[in-house]
Amino acid sequence: MAGEEGSSSKPDTSWSRVSWSLLAGVFIVSFFIGFFVLGRFQQNSPTLGTWAAICRAIGISTGVGPAAEPQPPLQMPTRIAWTQGTLARIASGNEHQGAFIALNCVVCHGEHGVSSSSLIPTLAGMDAAVIFKQLDDYRSQKRLWGVMSAIATSLNDRASADVAVYFAHLPGGLPQTAGEGLPVGGHSLRQGDPTIRLIYVGDPERGIPPCAACHGPSAQKPGAPALRGQHTAYIERQLTAFAQGARKNDINEQMRVIARELTPNEMHAVAAYYGDANLEGSKR
Amino acid sequence: MKHGSRLALFHYWVAFGVFLPSVLLGAWQMLMRSPLPAPLDDSAAYYASVTLHGSAMAYVVTTFFTMGFGYAVATTSLGRPLRGMTAAWIGFAICLIGTLMTVTAILSGRASVLYTFYPPLLATGWYYGGAFLLIAGSMVWVVLMILNMRAWRRDNPGHPVPLSMFAITATAMLWAWAASGVLVELAAILLPRAFGWSDLIDAALGRTLFSVTLHAIVYFWLMPAYVAFYTLVPAAAGGRLYSDTMGRLTFIMFLVFSLPVGMHHLLMDPEHGSGFKFLQSALTFLVALPTLLTVFSICASLEIAGRVRGGRGLFGWIKALPWQEPMVLAVGLSLVMLGLGGFGGLINMSYAMNSMIHNTSWVTAHFHLIFGGAVVIMYFAIAYEMWPRITGKALASKRMARLQLWLWFWGMLITTLPWHITGLMGQPRRVATFDYTDPLIAPMSPLVIISVLGGLILLISAILLIVILVRSHFSQSAAGEAMRYALAVNPPVIVPRTLNSFGLWNALVLVLMILAYGYPIGQFYFLKSHSVPAIGAVSSLDGRGEP
Repeated sequence: MAGEEGSSSKPDTSWSRVSWSLLAGVFIVSFFIGFFVLGRFQQNSPTLGTWAAICRAIGISTGVGPAAEPQPPLQMPTRIAWTQGTLARIASGNEHQGAFIALNCVVCHGEHGVSSSSLIPTLAGMDAAVIFKQLDDYRSQKRLWGVMSAIATSLNDRASADVAVYFAHLPGGLPQTAGEGLPVGGHSLRQGDPTIRLIYVGDPERGIPPCAACHGPSAQKPGAPALRGQHTAYIERQLTAFAQGARKNDINEQMRVIARELTPNEMHAVAAYYGDANLEGSKR
Repeated sequence: MKHGSRLALFHYWVAFGVFLPSVLLGAWQMLMRSPLPAPLDDSAAYYASVTLHGSAMAYVVTTFFTMGFGYAVATTSLGRPLRGMTAAWIGFAICLIGTLMTVTAILSGRASVLYTFYPPLLATGWYYGGAFLLIAGSMVWVVLMILNMRAWRRDNPGHPVPLSMFAITATAMLWAWAASGVLVELAAILLPRAFGWSDLIDAALGRTLFSVTLHAIVYFWLMPAYVAFYTLVPAAAGGRLYSDTMGRLTFIMFLVFSLPVGMHHLLMDPEHGSGFKFLQSALTFLVALPTLLTVFSICASLEIAGRVRGGRGLFGWIKALPWQEPMVLAVGLSLVMLGLGGFGGLINMSYAMNSMIHNTSWVTAHFHLIFGGAVVIMYFAIAYEMWPRITGKALASKRMARLQLWLWFWGMLITTLPWHITGLMGQPRRVATFDYTDPLIAPMSPLVIISVLGGLILLISAILLIVILVRSHFSQSAAGEAMRYALAVNPPVIVPRTLNSFGLWNALVLVLMILAYGYPIGQFYFLKSHSVPAIGAVSSLDGRGEP
């Protein structure tokens, strides 16, 4: 090359050519990896469509999440809603048909719907809507108990209504408490007995409504079982299950909220009040 | 003292004059955020101080030092007076006015926006105006460096431009490219908002423009150190430069590769796609090339010097080096810090690993080790080398200078190594106070206290530096040596035009910048806007704050 600078010479053109090609090479390879390969395969499997992957690499949100990622199922406490339709369907249950189905229940719930085991609820006299809902919850895995899930799965809506009506009309089980008055001083925060206060007044400071407002005596809400005469151990276990989140088929999460606020002693006392006290008329 | 020397000396004195109080602020900041009691324990003061420390160190010290170094190199390496002396003094004045405006604005408490001044944080217009003047004023220097190199080449056709001048011109061009981002951000986004001409502020665009500056500026800081590595160190060690061509290639590669890579500071940014982040992350890795090339060349040059001085065997040459020379000692310490900090940097720039340490004290530790350590220690060595040439007075004491370098080295290691660890433990940066009684934070406490000790050592070292420079300035003993630049083993006689000019390389930079930044910046103008209400800077020093 001539010493004179600026005179075009071979080394110059090769410097230029080599530099441009090297950088172009690096750029193209990085571009390909960054915009095509990484965007599409960065989680070891193609999680996005090619077009969505390129858009994301450019920085345009396509408004779609990773397509192949499993979405957790929505959590619903139950499939039952207390509509006129639901109530009408339950009311249309055939008591006679229900008697046949109830043959599947006697081993645990007793010949006459009165359970002899303290951990299994008495069904005779229980509100039909309550039984219907629990059967549906077992069927849809909203409430979990091996045997009950299996039996409920074999029943359809119609059969559930039938058996629910059958047990509701079965005499000699849970006492009818409709129209029963409050105990003396029951509806007052000055009530001396803390358990009675909890049941008839609740505890406003902890956001606990009175149990009796839904579970009786004297008041009832759809889907809430009347508890008078139910087994103490069963009630207590259900309260514990709600508190620990093992049972979560209460529609508005009300039982989970309330049970979490209760101490173990309170749970026992409340269950004992319903289960053992004031049992006139009920048969154990 | 020659006129040209006085110009360089004024720049140096501004740089070092700002340096000492900034180190003091840094030491106080470390005390303030540690479990130890600190005077003026106030968060608002902390953020104002961080802003002042950062702005002073990142913009003022570096810009003035590099400008001074550039003027000194231009006059001594080309062997003739600087063309455009008047313009140079005007540039100096503009930068000085900018510095005073910036410092005053921060001290008034109305500019606590940290040196990165990310919007929507908003400072008073005086702060942005000052920063704009400082950076724009340094463009006078950029133009003068380019013109002086051109003029010399025109007057010496066919001769290779001396490596030191070639390198400092590369530095000037790099700075012009780098500063374009922050200048546009200041002029188009921050100043209009600060003066109330617009209500909203496009925070994402601001961040992106700043990222254009944010990585290249680091190389602008680094370049004087590299110029010293190539042109001063081999001479000080008594040897020769291993390869002149490698030197030219190194500075060319820094010019090309340090620019289209700033988005690795935005790897966690929501407004940019993964593709551009990866692209710039990949380009960032190319910066390792000139760095490794430099480590190789410098070690080779030192080995030449060591063997010339009688060193034998595989490692005998290391012992034979003149370690009593501040420049040689500094390069040894600098390379150690560069190595440690460089490995940390590989983690910062890696697209995936960055998420572990993003915005933790790891990052603060990294840039203090690289810039505050590896680079600034070379600034000291350059000052010790140049002081006698500029002032005509001998250096007060080489022993004190060596002590100062060692103190700085250990101080920086003791400060930054614990920060790396607390960063991995999750300690965020840019936070004034921590509850060290919290069981999650308590284990950081001893590490933070150790780093405070490092800060104290750094402060002592900085004081020592000023003492040495002042004593040398006013010493009686004369020294009349001229600047010594290292000769290459094979001195360049004929150099290809591409290694003697920057046309090709600037064209490459332009194309790479358009490819790497065209869309990421353009998208804000055409596809999406992220204008948000600005947030007035946190207040006055008493912490009451004002909107």
